[in-house]
Amino acid sequence: MSLVARYLERNGIPTMVMGAAKDIVEHAGVPRFLFSDFPLGNSCGRPHEPDTQRFTLDLALKVFESAVGPRTTVQSPLRWAEDGDWKLDYNNLARMSPQEVAKRRAEFDKVKQVARGQRQKAGVG
Amino acid sequence: MSDTASFAPDHDAPIEYMRRTRDYYLALGYDNPYRWAHYVDAPFRPLGKPLKDSTLALITTAAPYQPDKGDQGPGAPYNAAAKYYTVYSGDTSVDHDTRISHIGYDRKHTTASDSNTWFPLRLMREFAAAGRFKLAKRFHGAPTNRSQRVTLDTDAPEILARCRQDQVDAALLVPT
Repeated sequence: MSLVARYLERNGIPTMVMGAAKDIVEHAGVPRFLFSDFPLGNSCGRPHEPDTQRFTLDLALKVFESAVGPRTTVQSPLRWAEDGDWKLDYNNLARMSPQEVAKRRAEFDKVKQVARGQRQKAGVG
Repeated sequence: MSDTASFAPDHDAPIEYMRRTRDYYLALGYDNPYRWAHYVDAPFRPLGKPLKDSTLALITTAAPYQPDKGDQGPGAPYNAAAKYYTVYSGDTSVDHDTRISHIGYDRKHTTASDSNTWFPLRLMREFAAAGRFKLAKRFHGAPTNRSQRVTLDTDAPEILARCRQDQVDAALLVPT
């Protein structure tokens, strides 16, 4: 998605990215970015909380209008939870048993097979 | 008493997804690590006019719900069959059922039960009605392709062309 933002921007359409994967978006380098320090899947606020969603979109528009140069990142002040323990879970091997890792390996083999078939069907493999 | 007592715990910082993902797939036995897009510089085009006078397009990575493609949530396991490989567009004046089961979102801490957290179309309609911007007549879906070449050579130019057709002045991109 960062690549699309860069492409549009280079071709005359200013862009604003709302996301939750700070390192990935900043590694690519985008013009303007509102970062929500939330689990992936919640770029636009907390689930079932219209107020936080409204706050997040409003902030994105303000960043869009006020950014003075590329790689502008603003971090939303909203918190997902009181503590940050949820951040230790995502694909974190240190929190998985060997059995869990083996199970995920088997699942991933299956997923890869499905994706390969899809790409071939779509002619992009 | 040291001043450091008021510091936040070290782990309470933005997750290093690239490092976490690399380590994870190495442990699963895949030693061909994904290379994330990386540039030193970034383009910048100032807004040509205030947002309230600009036509704003929503670009999403969410997929349209496809009943024949298996469990797409809420709470679905990763579903590669729900991926899509060409840009799609939708009419912004009506609601759309979009899902993210084809994306590696945080399945432990979120269940994808509220599409407004990844597809803010309804809220954008509300903001447009309040005069914050003009909503473009179509939104666009960007394939989450592992191939960055396809993204750069095919998908991004296609999204640009569709934005130009709709006389879009600015774009809001929401990756998941």
